[in-house]
Amino acid sequence: MKFWQKICLFSILTFIIIFNAASIMVIERNHSKMLQQEINNTLSANMSINSSVNAVVPILRIYDSIDYEKTVLTNIASEFVRRNSDQGSYLDIADDKDKTVFSNLDFTMPREREEREELEPGEIKYILRDIGERTLLFTTNVTDINKKNYIFTYIKDVTPLYTERMEQYTFFAQMDIVACLIYIIVMFLISKGLTKPIERMVKTAKEIAQGDFSERVQLKSRDEIGVLAANFNEMASVVEDKINELERNNGEKQRFINNITHELKTPLTSIIGYANYMRSTKYDEATFLEGLNAIYSEGKRLEALATKLMDLILLKDHQFQMKPDNMMDIVMELEPSLKHIVAPKGIRLVLECEDSRLPLEKDLIKIVIFNLVDNAVKASKEGGMVVIRTLERGGSCVLEIADEGSGISAEHLDKIFEPFYMADKARTRNNNGAGLGLSICRSIADIHHAEIEVDSELQAGTTIRVVFPQTQEEGGVNP
Amino acid sequence: MKKRILIVEDEIHISNIIKMNLTLVGYETEQVYDGMDALERIKGDRFDLILLDVMIPRMDGFELMEKIRPMNIPVIFLTAKNAVFDKVNGLKLGADDYMVKPFEAIELLARMETVLRRYGKEESVLSFQNIEVYVDKREVTVSQEVVELTPKEYELLLVLLKNKNIALSREQFIEKVWGGDFYGETRTVDMHIKSLRKKLNLQDQIKTIYKIGYRLED
Repeated sequence: MKFWQKICLFSILTFIIIFNAASIMVIERNHSKMLQQEINNTLSANMSINSSVNAVVPILRIYDSIDYEKTVLTNIASEFVRRNSDQGSYLDIADDKDKTVFSNLDFTMPREREEREELEPGEIKYILRDIGERTLLFTTNVTDINKKNYIFTYIKDVTPLYTERMEQYTFFAQMDIVACLIYIIVMFLISKGLTKPIERMVKTAKEIAQGDFSERVQLKSRDEIGVLAANFNEMASVVEDKINELERNNGEKQRFINNITHELKTPLTSIIGYANYMRSTKYDEATFLEGLNAIYSEGKRLEALATKLMDLILLKDHQFQMKPDNMMDIVMELEPSLKHIVAPKGIRLVLECEDSRLPLEKDLIKIVIFNLVDNAVKASKEGGMVVIRTLERGGSCVLEIADEGSGISAEHLDKIFEPFYMADKARTRNNNGAGLGLSICRSIADIHHAEIEVDSELQAGTTIRVVFPQTQEEGGVNP
Repeated sequence: MKKRILIVEDEIHISNIIKMNLTLVGYETEQVYDGMDALERIKGDRFDLILLDVMIPRMDGFELMEKIRPMNIPVIFLTAKNAVFDKVNGLKLGADDYMVKPFEAIELLARMETVLRRYGKEESVLSFQNIEVYVDKREVTVSQEVVELTPKEYELLLVLLKNKNIALSREQFIEKVWGGDFYGETRTVDMHIKSLRKKLNLQDQIKTIYKIGYRLED
């Protein structure tokens, strides 16, 4: 059963029970009050007859005649009946031999009258009896007149009270149906309205389950469901982020593998092609040399790729020990081999280094400097200039390599750190590059928790900055 | 008339080795190194077949393919990726076949021949010196004299002619002539070569290549 149906059903059941019980109680209480009042009235009417009779008792004693007694009683009774004739009241007076002295009953007095038994003089007893269609209230008392007991029975028709109760019940039944119908409709709308947000959340949850992770619950309320929805949305966005991240990682991995495949197969195609050509055809001297050349250079390219790949893999699953060292010393140490790289193109290498000590892994930093200078040289024209700077900036150490080369266009800037990305494929290839240098630098920077910044302008040059995180207290102790 | 092949490949070594192989068997080739140049050449000249690398600068192979498609020129894709996606994508775009790098020259030649045949561009007469092969009639003549060949000898001659100047191994001959499910000895090839040499007087032209196999030389 659905939640809204439960709310609806239970509240309707509760309402029906309470409403009916309360209404019945009111009607019954009303009825019993009216009945009690009627009984009281009847009793007092009975008593008033009694007192009329008692008033004449002394006179009757003087006369002491049964006939006279009966006449007097009949007179009193007639007088009384005349006064109350329209109210459905009856009077019956019988003597101790059960002979009727007076009666205006229009029905037969029932045989069994338990109220008459053990009736003490001066006591009034009453009882309700159903006779025919009517309900009658019998009030009975005994009066002693000249040693004779007369039984006075005053009867009042109380059928209207019961009719009234019936009418009330009929009216209530109609009221009950109408009220319940209204209540059911209202409750249906309320429970539907209250559970609507839940249904919406269920729908959203289903959509998310089917893979649409960008789906959100559109709900702006401050109640518990609103809070739940907000938390649900938060959860969904966390899941979405995680999924996106996983997908991105997966995509990156797939691209990496595709790229490796491509980078491996391309030189292999040339090598196999030339080797096969030379072993299966009659070649001339020029072709022979060209073939050997191609095999050699493509082999070198594979070698470079293998080295770079090893670096990259090593960086990925290795723990490195950081030792405090001076960046300037490392640059100085590398200078001779860097000169080697710049020499063929006649490029001037300028070092502008300050002391900057920080914890680092020396061999990795060498790889970074080497790669960045190599890139700078490749981008530079003959006779250009490459500057290496180490400096302190706002408490953090910065390694900067600047060239005056061709620059990188904006469309490539955000992708140059991706493995195998080549801004200029032909140039990279001619230099035996695989497009891995910067991605190795990025990995090494990550190991040092450093950021890499790139400033580049086409035809004006590129500046790459490796910004290391602020060194701890060490810097502050030495002024 | 020689068939004209356009080689669209940015790797200069790969492009050259393809060109060299195609030239050997008698195709005329032209090399371009990026998509834009390729498009220009295709618009300007008539080619019988295009060998198209997928990853080329300026306009990639798939994009170029869409532009080539209406021209009804057969295209064979060259790709280093053997991902299913690339193959499906390439063939859906209307390429006739694809080669995954690294590939063997004779494999490329065989695929090219199949594609050309599909386009009705196959030579109906193959000739080599004084030998003529009429493919339609399955008839071979030496100096206008009809020579009777067994079906396998005929097939073997076709393979030699189509891979002129390229040495094929005995295994390769078996695969191409007898089919992949032939489990006979490689000596069968030697027997057939021997009778071909005798029947067609090709003692000098069909060379035995040490450690490899046989080669038909001009």
